[in-house]
Amino acid sequence: MKILLGAVAILSLALCLAAPALFFLGILPEASYKLALLLASLGWFFLATTWVSHKKKSS
Amino acid sequence: MDRLYEFDREPVSPDKLQSGGKFAGLFAGEHVAATEFVIGAFFVLHGVTARDLLLGLFLGNLLAVLSWTFVCAPIAVRTRLTLYWYLRKIAGPGVTFLYNIANAFLYCVLAGAMISVSATAVGLLFGLKVPALNAVLPTSAGWVVIVVLLGAAFTTMAILGFERLSRFAQVCSPWIFAIFIAGALALLPKLGVERNFANFWQVATTKIWNGVPAAGQERFGFWHILFFAWFCNLAMHVGLSDMAIFRYARRWTYGLFTAFGVYPGHMLAWLCSGVMVAAVGRQMDPGLMAFTAAGAAGIGAVLLAGWTTANPTLYRAGLALQTVTPDWPRWKITLLAGTATTVLACFPVFFLKLLDYVAIYGLVLMPVGAIVFAEHWLFPLFRIEQYQAEKKGWAFNWAALAVWPGTIAACFLLPLHLYFKWLPGWFIAAAAYTLLMAAAGRGRAAGETLMTGGGENSPRTDGRPS
Repeated sequence: MKILLGAVAILSLALCLAAPALFFLGILPEASYKLALLLASLGWFFLATTWVSHKKKSS
Repeated sequence: MDRLYEFDREPVSPDKLQSGGKFAGLFAGEHVAATEFVIGAFFVLHGVTARDLLLGLFLGNLLAVLSWTFVCAPIAVRTRLTLYWYLRKIAGPGVTFLYNIANAFLYCVLAGAMISVSATAVGLLFGLKVPALNAVLPTSAGWVVIVVLLGAAFTTMAILGFERLSRFAQVCSPWIFAIFIAGALALLPKLGVERNFANFWQVATTKIWNGVPAAGQERFGFWHILFFAWFCNLAMHVGLSDMAIFRYARRWTYGLFTAFGVYPGHMLAWLCSGVMVAAVGRQMDPGLMAFTAAGAAGIGAVLLAGWTTANPTLYRAGLALQTVTPDWPRWKITLLAGTATTVLACFPVFFLKLLDYVAIYGLVLMPVGAIVFAEHWLFPLFRIEQYQAEKKGWAFNWAALAVWPGTIAACFLLPLHLYFKWLPGWFIAAAAYTLLMAAAGRGRAAGETLMTGGGENSPRTDGRPS
């Protein structure tokens, strides 16, 4: 569970970087890029804080 | 609180030393703050060229890393003490008290600048105009209201849950860094960069770092940038306040791990904020820059960057003040530091003159680092007795007390740019302190020789064998 949480959290962070890259390449329009960035950011905060809490509990 | 402050007054025990990986992780998240939105943008407004910026940042940050490695970490590893406690042995509790007061005030100003940066993000939601570049006093009631509300919120959260917020800051740090990169990347097409990056350098040199300063701003060159990157954390490396961290290091070479923090935070993030300010028509408005670049996530990044970095700064200011008011509970001290910080944050001059403030901050604390360096390394070399304040129970080591403000005064008289003053100042402080203490030691020795009627065979007064 802990590993899965960590992996998905890092994936969300990677999405935060992928969204502007796709916008730069002209694949995503500006509004979609900003929405994707916001959703990926929310995902990162939810998953990373849960991940950190799990790590703290197990240590 | 006491747990966080363990080994404050005694050397760190060998079983508590930390691995290099821990240091790399610690520094990686330490240098991406709200102020990065302002500093990188100001380089653009100061008309630096792309070549000067890249070379200056690379070499300046290298010098900073080497300062941590060769100045700060070796003393920390040999003593295993915090600067506060080591300074007490060297300069006495009176000088340490004054150092703490100065430190607390400087921390409050820094935290205030971070609140101001966050206020630009909140102000954007209410259509509030960010103060002009030359503003000193609060420019509108709306600005004051937003700053006071943010200051109150930051202070309350610092009082309620420092540790929880520190954990949250760990989560924020990589995300804020990602937003810097995302924002810059997303704004490159607006500046005319083609999708294959073929014209990137041409855009960088003509539209971003084009060598043309904004109206009323001084033009910066390679040396300004190099020195800025070097002294940006002057109080921490040459000023030795990071002894608090490096006393846990197994080896002094762990100072090299600071590269994991300064190159992403003080190079990449500054370059990114430079791109952002160029894309919004060179307006010094961190909120607008981040919103244009990354939408709502950008606003969140500015707000969280201010919050998560003002929080430990408030905490450090509280710790420094605690030595002045030892009987006060932590909440009361944090409230005092938070109130002072909020009042300072209302004055936009502190974030609009952030580059100069960073220089002054380092300059004020640097002589203390030079004094400690001299006592630690030069005194044994010149056979001057070390730790006389501790041994003789001095409240004030008058030589240290004279050298500290004396060096600052000498620096301000030096006919050099503000950014370059600290380097000769460091040598002035180290030399003046060594000479004063050597002269005082000889004076005392001569006095004792006269009183005891001794000659060449009299015992040495520096406590060392002849």
